[in-house]
Amino acid sequence: MNAVLLVTRRELMTRIRERGFQVSLLITLAVLLAIIVLPKVFGNDNKDFRVGLAGTASRLQPALEQAARTGGVTLHLSTVSDVDAARSLVTDGKLDAVVDGDREVIVKDTLDNRLEVILQGAYQTVVTAERLAATGIDPGKVSQALAVPALNVNKLKGENTADGRRQGVAFFAVVFLYGQLFGYAMWVALGVVEEKASRVIELLLSTLRPWQVLAGKVAGIGLLGLGQFFVLGAAGLAAALATGTLSVPGEAVGTILHVLVWFLLGYAFYACLAAGIAAQVSRQEDLQNAIGPMQILLVGSFFVAIFAGQSPTGRMAEVLSYVPPFSAMVMPLRVAAGAAGPVPVLVALGVMLVATLGLVRLAAWVYAGAVLRTGSKVRLGDALRAGRADRREPRRDDRREDVSEAARPASR
Amino acid sequence: MLEYDGVSKRYGDTVALEGLSFSVEPGRMFGFVGANGAGKTTAMRIAMGVLAADAGVVRWRGEPVDFETRKRFGYMPEERGLYPKMRVREQLVYFGELHGLDPSAATAAADHWTDRLGVAERSNDPVDKLSLGNQQRVQLAAALVHDPEVLILDEPFSGLDPVGVDTLADTLLERCRAGIPVIFSSHQLDLVERLCDSVGIINAGRMVASGTVNELRARAGRGQLRLVVPGARPGWAAGLPGVHIMADNGTEVLLELADDADDQIVLTAALRIGRVEHFSWRQPTLTELFREAVADGAARGRTGSEARRGAVREVLA
Repeated sequence: MNAVLLVTRRELMTRIRERGFQVSLLITLAVLLAIIVLPKVFGNDNKDFRVGLAGTASRLQPALEQAARTGGVTLHLSTVSDVDAARSLVTDGKLDAVVDGDREVIVKDTLDNRLEVILQGAYQTVVTAERLAATGIDPGKVSQALAVPALNVNKLKGENTADGRRQGVAFFAVVFLYGQLFGYAMWVALGVVEEKASRVIELLLSTLRPWQVLAGKVAGIGLLGLGQFFVLGAAGLAAALATGTLSVPGEAVGTILHVLVWFLLGYAFYACLAAGIAAQVSRQEDLQNAIGPMQILLVGSFFVAIFAGQSPTGRMAEVLSYVPPFSAMVMPLRVAAGAAGPVPVLVALGVMLVATLGLVRLAAWVYAGAVLRTGSKVRLGDALRAGRADRREPRRDDRREDVSEAARPASR
Repeated sequence: MLEYDGVSKRYGDTVALEGLSFSVEPGRMFGFVGANGAGKTTAMRIAMGVLAADAGVVRWRGEPVDFETRKRFGYMPEERGLYPKMRVREQLVYFGELHGLDPSAATAAADHWTDRLGVAERSNDPVDKLSLGNQQRVQLAAALVHDPEVLILDEPFSGLDPVGVDTLADTLLERCRAGIPVIFSSHQLDLVERLCDSVGIINAGRMVASGTVNELRARAGRGQLRLVVPGARPGWAAGLPGVHIMADNGTEVLLELADDADDQIVLTAALRIGRVEHFSWRQPTLTELFREAVADGAARGRTGSEARRGAVREVLA
C-alpha cells in the first residue's frame, strides 16, 4: 500500500478508537440535536394551535381560518359543547385555548402572542360585520370593505429571503467548521510532538520521507474531521427536517459544499502551520507556548470573519476575501451574500491555493529540519538550514537518475 | 558487506563524526563502543538516513545506501521508538507494512516475533502498559518484523534484566548466524566482548581502534606480565633489559616488556629475590582496551605512556 495512505490510515484508525474522540463526538451530537429538537418539544417556536370554539364562538370559524392563513400559523379548530369540559381540556393541555362565546378566551397560563392577534383580529372582524349588518348595510358591501389586503413590507436594507437564508447557512457553517479547526490543528501538533518525544519518528523516517509523514498525518486528521462534519451535518439536517425546524432548500446544500472547499484549504493551511511549529519542540509542555501565535492568528481570523460577515458586501470584507488565511472564511460569506461572482472567487481561490502550497512546502522543510532534533526548541533559522541540508541528499539521487534517464535515449 | 567510508558530520562547530571508516561482513556482529557523545548514535542515524552525512558514504553490497535499500534494514533507535498508546501487535503490523510487507505477512511476522521474544500475551496491550524490559523486546520485534538484511541497533541492551539480555542476545546471534551483519552499540563491554566478532572503539567522532578483540589485544602488545613475590622491595625489577614498570608495590608488579625482551629473565630475577607465587601474562579486557584507546585519543597533549599508566592505575584500583 502507498506509504502516505498507510500513515493516513493509522492516524484515522487510532483516533477513531480513542475514547476521548468518541465521547466528544457523542456530546457534540447530543448538543446539536438538543438545539434542533428542544424548541419543538417545549413549543417555543410552535406554529400549531388547537383551539376550541364554544357556543356562539363557532361562527368565528371562517374568519379564524382566513386569519391563520394570512398569519402563517396552523389552527386546529374544534367545536366544544360544554364550557366545563372545555376548561378541563385546556387544563390537561389538550387544547391551547377555548373561545367561550362572546365572553372570554380560556387559556392555561398565557396566551401566545400570535394566537392572540389572530383570535382578537378575527373576533373584531366578525363582530364589526355583524354590527354593520344590524344597521342595515348590505352584508356583501361590508365584507368587501373589510377585505383589506395586508401591507407589503419593503425592507430597504434587507436581502430577499433566499439570500438571507443562504447567508445564515454560510455563516453557521463557517463558524462551526472553524470552531472544529482549533481541535484539528491541535491534534496535528500533538501528534507531531508525540512522534518526536517517543522517537518513533526515527523509525518512520528510515522508511518514509518527512513530507510523507506530514502529508499522511494531515490527511488522516483532515479525513477524520470531515467524517465528523458529515456525521454531525447529516444528523443535524435529518433532525431539523423531521421536526420542521428548518426547511432546507437545495441551495443551502450548495452553500455548505462551497464553504467546505474553502475549509479544506484553510485546514491544510493551519494544519501545516501547526505541524511546522510542533516539529520545533520536543515536549508537550513546550508546545503550548510555541503554538500560541498560531492560535492568536486563528482566533483573530475567526473574529474578523464574524465581523466581516455582519456586512459581507462592505469594503473590509471585499479586501479580506482575497487575503489568506482570512479569505477562507470571508469569501464564502460574500458569495452567499451575492457580493462576489465567479471571477473574484477564482482569483481568491488561486491566491489561497498558492499560499497554502507555499506553506505546505515550508512546513515540510521546517519539519524535516527540526523533527529529529530533541532537547530545547529548535530555532526556525536552524530548522530551515537543516531542512535544506537534508533535502539536498535525496535531490542529488534524483538528479543522477534524471541524468541516466536522459542519457539512455541518446546512447541508443 | 556494510561499509562506512569516511563518514563525517558536524553540528555547527561541534564535530560529531570525522572520517569514520569501518566495515561489517554478513554474518558478523559488530560492537560499537564509546563514551556518551562519542558519535555512535550519529553514525547509526546516518546509516538509517535519519541524518544526512556532511561527507563520506555508507555502502551496502558495494552500493551507496539509499532510501530503497534502507527499507530492508532493521533499526532500533536509542531509548524508545514506539507509539506509547498503540497496541503491540498493531504497531508491529504497521511497521511491517511500512517496510513493504502485505497485511497478512506483516501480521504473521508480528505474531512470530512477539512469540519468539516472549511478549505474545501482551500483543493487545498498549505499549505504555508494558514494563521497560518488555517495551525493549517489542522494540526489537519492530526492528526484525520485516526480516531485514542488516540490523542496526542503538543500545539494545540498556535497561534489560539478565533474562532479557539473554533472550535478546540469543535472537541477535541467531539472526547474525543466518547471514546478516549486525551493528549494535553498548556500554556493557563484557557483553560486547562475549557477543561480537569485531569491535569499534569510537572517541570524539573518530574510530580510535577497530578489529576483533584479539586483534585489538595483539595491537596493544603482548599484554602485561604480572608477578606476585611476597616481601620483595619495590623497584626490584628496575633495570631488567627491555622491562617497563607499569605498577609496583614490591609484592605485586605489573610489567610491560619490549618485543625482544625475554620473560624468563624476569622470572629468574624474581626467583632470586623470593618465592614467586604468581607469574602470568594477562590479556587486557575489552574494558582496558577501551580505556586505553580512549585515553590515547583524548590525551593528544600527553604522552601515550602517561595515559596508559593512568589507565592501568584504574585497573589495579
